[in-house]
Amino acid sequence: MQEEGLDVQTTRSADHYGALIHHLSLVRNKRCLMAYVYNRAETIRSLIWKVGPVLPQEIQEKLSHTEEDYFKKHAGTLQSYMSRLDLDVTVDMVPPKDPYIQVRVLDDIGVVLSDDKTTNFARHSMHFLKRTDAEQFISRGLMEELTG
Amino acid sequence: MASEAGEGSTAGMDDYETLISTTDVELLKKAWRNEKAAPEILRFETSLIQRIRGQIQLMEENIEEFAGSGIDPLTVSLYQMDLDRTQYLFRSYLRIRLQKIEKYMFHISKNPEVQSRLSEQEKGFARRCADDMERHLEESVLSKLPDNYQDTVKQSIISEESDMRFSWF
Repeated sequence: MQEEGLDVQTTRSADHYGALIHHLSLVRNKRCLMAYVYNRAETIRSLIWKVGPVLPQEIQEKLSHTEEDYFKKHAGTLQSYMSRLDLDVTVDMVPPKDPYIQVRVLDDIGVVLSDDKTTNFARHSMHFLKRTDAEQFISRGLMEELTG
Repeated sequence: MASEAGEGSTAGMDDYETLISTTDVELLKKAWRNEKAAPEILRFETSLIQRIRGQIQLMEENIEEFAGSGIDPLTVSLYQMDLDRTQYLFRSYLRIRLQKIEKYMFHISKNPEVQSRLSEQEKGFARRCADDMERHLEESVLSKLPDNYQDTVKQSIISEESDMRFSWF
């Protein structure tokens, strides 16, 4: 077109429309892809709050490599914030009703050291624990709270 | 006499209520409620947070002393309960702010007014969040697109302004 000396701005040849359609569809695809990736990333971030910094296998196989990287990086960002503040913000997720709660162990955890006591968490045993200690096990599904 | 005593006691009650409403715990409750209900992030209460942290630590030490010194265990567990509730409010306040930062990370990085409402550590968190997200988007999408389209903010380099229109930008 430039060789023919025509004014590029106003010439409307078939090439122009072809290029325009290509551009518009490219831009639309870009928007769709970015929205997809961004929304998945949002769900991944919410997983950190729900499940903790380590992902269970069934979820991990559904993520792409980049997403696994993003998950690790974000967990690291959160961890660095918590260590700068010297406070764990991921425990204590529900308002407390009692300082101690009763839990039943669902999976074999074995012997665990907590504070000054060592307790053996055998399957189906019931314990009376401090809330903050039990919470990490409950969120991983290894224990359940007895509310009855 | 009875009415005087009545008035005296209501005046006493008012004093008690004004005293209660200015304790740090009440202020924390107010800040927590505000933060929970507001759709955007509010100003960080630096001095309040510092005071509360100090008080929580003091309380924890007191409770340990009490637990060892044979005071009625019911009283100890009541103090423990109170401490737990305050700690929950404290952590939840910080958590809500973090989640809002995650939601609006790009808006925060572009908007200095909003940035001034964050604490120092939160600013660092927000910056790393935005960096992580940009890296993630670049690796998964933008590096696969042709050259002129690889910007997070503009749809392509011929766009005159940052017109990558997502609701969070």
